Amino acid sequence: MQYQTALALGVVVPLASFFFLALFGPRLGKPKSSYVALLAIGISCALSTYVLVNWLKLSTPERTELTASAYRFDWGTLGSMPLTVGVKLDSLTVIMYFMVTFIAFWIHFFSIGYMEGHSDEVDHVSKYHRFFTYLSLFCFSMLGLVVSSSLLFLFIFWELVGLCSYLLIGFYFDRKYASNAAIKAFITNRVGDFGFILGMALVALYLNTLDLDLAAARFAEQFHKSAEGPAVGIFANSYTLFGFSVASLMGIGLFCGAMGKSAQFPLHVWLPDAMAGPTPVSALIHAATMVAAGVYLVARIFRLLTPEAQFFIACIGCITLTITALIAIVQTDIKKVLAYSTLSQLGYMIFGMGMGAWVAALFHLMTHAFFKAMLFLGSGQVIEGCHHEQDMRKMGGLRKKMPVTCWTFFIGVLAIAGFGLPGVEIGHVKLGLGGFFSKDEILAVAYERAFNIPELKKTDAAADDAGEHADASNANMGVASPFRLASDNQPAQHAETEHSEHDAHAHGDHAQGTPQKMAIAAKLPAIPKWMFFFPIAIAYITPFYMMRCWWMTFCGKPRDHHVYDHAHESWKMFLPLVILAGGTFFSSYQMFRPLIHDAAVIATDSSTVVAIDGEAHVLAEAGGGTMIMLNHAPGKNPHDWLKMGVGFSWLIGMGFAVLVYLRGLGLADKLKRMFGPIHTALEQKLYFDHVYDAVLVGGTVTFGFVCGLFDKIVVDGIVNMTALLGKFVGVFTGRQLDMPVKRGDWGIVDAIANGLAQTMLDIGSEIRRPQSGRIRMYVMITAGSAAVALLVVLNYHRLADGLQWLMSNVGTRVLAANGS
Amino acid sequence: MLTIGLNHYLVLSAIVFSLGILCMVTKRNALGILIGVELVLNAANVNLVAFSRYQTGAADGHMFAVFVILLAAAEAAIGIAIFMNFYNTLQTIDVDRGDELRN
Repeated sequence: MQYQTALALGVVVPLASFFFLALFGPRLGKPKSSYVALLAIGISCALSTYVLVNWLKLSTPERTELTASAYRFDWGTLGSMPLTVGVKLDSLTVIMYFMVTFIAFWIHFFSIGYMEGHSDEVDHVSKYHRFFTYLSLFCFSMLGLVVSSSLLFLFIFWELVGLCSYLLIGFYFDRKYASNAAIKAFITNRVGDFGFILGMALVALYLNTLDLDLAAARFAEQFHKSAEGPAVGIFANSYTLFGFSVASLMGIGLFCGAMGKSAQFPLHVWLPDAMAGPTPVSALIHAATMVAAGVYLVARIFRLLTPEAQFFIACIGCITLTITALIAIVQTDIKKVLAYSTLSQLGYMIFGMGMGAWVAALFHLMTHAFFKAMLFLGSGQVIEGCHHEQDMRKMGGLRKKMPVTCWTFFIGVLAIAGFGLPGVEIGHVKLGLGGFFSKDEILAVAYERAFNIPELKKTDAAADDAGEHADASNANMGVASPFRLASDNQPAQHAETEHSEHDAHAHGDHAQGTPQKMAIAAKLPAIPKWMFFFPIAIAYITPFYMMRCWWMTFCGKPRDHHVYDHAHESWKMFLPLVILAGGTFFSSYQMFRPLIHDAAVIATDSSTVVAIDGEAHVLAEAGGGTMIMLNHAPGKNPHDWLKMGVGFSWLIGMGFAVLVYLRGLGLADKLKRMFGPIHTALEQKLYFDHVYDAVLVGGTVTFGFVCGLFDKIVVDGIVNMTALLGKFVGVFTGRQLDMPVKRGDWGIVDAIANGLAQTMLDIGSEIRRPQSGRIRMYVMITAGSAAVALLVVLNYHRLADGLQWLMSNVGTRVLAANGS
Repeated sequence: MLTIGLNHYLVLSAIVFSLGILCMVTKRNALGILIGVELVLNAANVNLVAFSRYQTGAADGHMFAVFVILLAAAEAAIGIAIFMNFYNTLQTIDVDRGDELRN
């Protein structure tokens, strides 16, 4: 089977399941309807595995060829712009697709176990089938989003996943908080999507296409033209708003969509509330897949970003990852801790994208998806086992009652904390889990951007002054120059063989953009230093709050015996945990990073910003293309620095958490009192909800109130004044002109007025008859008369002719009759 | 092979329009009526887009269709608000029950 067909089929199968369940779900009931959904996603998962396995066997030129020859159909035309629909087939799609189907399959499996013990009734009617119907719809939309080749279709599926998220958060819609959370999520996402639409409109207007590849090519064309001579088109200074060129606004607009979906500051407020949905939903949608769609979008539009837009993205990511990690420290609801940690990790990914760490950010997305899905499912198991108790202060000591959950959860905590032993290698395999590799890479790039680049620029400038060194954009890139292309065939300076099993292909055909890329790289702006230190500091805080969460839940003494006695676990629910724990190992080591790197070559080619390879020193693995690598002087390798700087942050953070919570909650309470105001502020989520409530909700209500006042005072006033005036005139004229001679006797004016009134009354009572108050009747009459009118208008000539004929015939007959 | 032209779109639009009217006339549920209205509006949208595609070739009709969609959303919001009040006063959303102003 062709790969693109397999992928397209994998998208359609869950849709079929959705329609089937929507029609027959109520009849299938519990638990049969769940099997349909499980089967559908199972087929998708099998197809994606088939594609992935075969894809791994292909060489890069073969992959490129497949990417270029993937489906493109004309779907419609907008003005002069054709709208195409097609499958985007490249390494990124293949692994995203696999990740989504694999995680979704195991979460479906988990859901069956989870929903057994959960109420699925709303008003005494079972909504069990609905849960799986929505899950199927979600899988369809998410997979569609991943394979879309055009921005328009990406947007359509984007909205569909938003809808599914809304439906599933509000699954228990009879509970006020759940329906409120659903509305909040939906509306917050709309704000971001508005930016997305504006960005799309700019792309359509200035690039005249919505196809991702075509748009990127046209964007690059305009950019290169501007780079050579005076700025033209979207890069021209005459097209600016708030100091941003149209090109920047395009990227920022599209990124606004990602801000909504990936819950970035200031639109992050919906994600913690989204935990009102059933826990498997939180795992699938609000942790592993949908919220990562924003990062995926940024990866896809990377070629449409300008340095300004990229800097904007980095800022947003940095702010998000910092504030949400701080809030996570004080949360007591187990799901809220995980929600805030998700926000923080998404912040890391977005921050990485903004730094140009394309590979690292997506690598983090993949590892995060596995361990975060597992953590959420673990929390689901705990909540289910503890009789729907979510407050960690009432848990504790669950280690003995649910050992499997406990230790898989611990693996998740290690992975997110960035567990690893820097420098220790067994064979060629570095010891570490998930975040240890992916977060390290993001931080490495941030380090380069904040420190090495300014320094190297300084030395470069000095060299320029001395006249010893040529222009940085010169094609001859010596060792002294800070930048080097990945396609450079120089031997690796710090060659490490970690990924040496991966083929080192030379893709000569992708290196044409080289001189331009070098020019861009030479202008690579340095970032403020705080944007490096914040993520570093948060790398210490992440292990703390995750360990706190694990320790409070599973260790120590049981704090609530009611909860403790009830605790239990079942295989249906912990099997997915074990599988996903395996997936965490797998995603940290096996194939994701090389494949993402493979995708990066094309996905970041011909962009106006550079994608920086976080593992710059591993040249053995760097295939080629136009990814920038930083050729640092010996001893300036960011990984060396990070090894000492954050290599053991997991140990420090986790150790501190154990110290604080070792003897129950006593010490934590003391600390809480010590940091009173700060603790309260964090507990109130830094007052974002309050501010939004006051400004936006309050503003709307006030506006409504003012409108109401206007209606009451001005509009009503005018009406009442008119009435008063009429009355006054009536009284006045009546007195002056129409004084009745005798009581009961009408004057002339009175007679006219009363007669008119009486006539009106009579007509009114006649007309009133058809006014039955039945709206359907009115519609029928309106539509009927419109139809009659239409018939008359259409057949006007025929009618006129007929009438004439009638008149003349009848006329002659009458005349004839008269004549006779 | 059949080439799809303007007439096909117009026929489709006419069918959708009639279905919308039928829906409005036959449904007693207020939400059903709202759905009928949406169908009617969308039939109009199909017409707008079809005409702009086949007659002018520009995207004017598309823009208009977007406006109609926007207005339809506003209309639905207001309609649903009215139905909520309707429900609060009459404990039903059967529109035939709302005939208090008769006589």
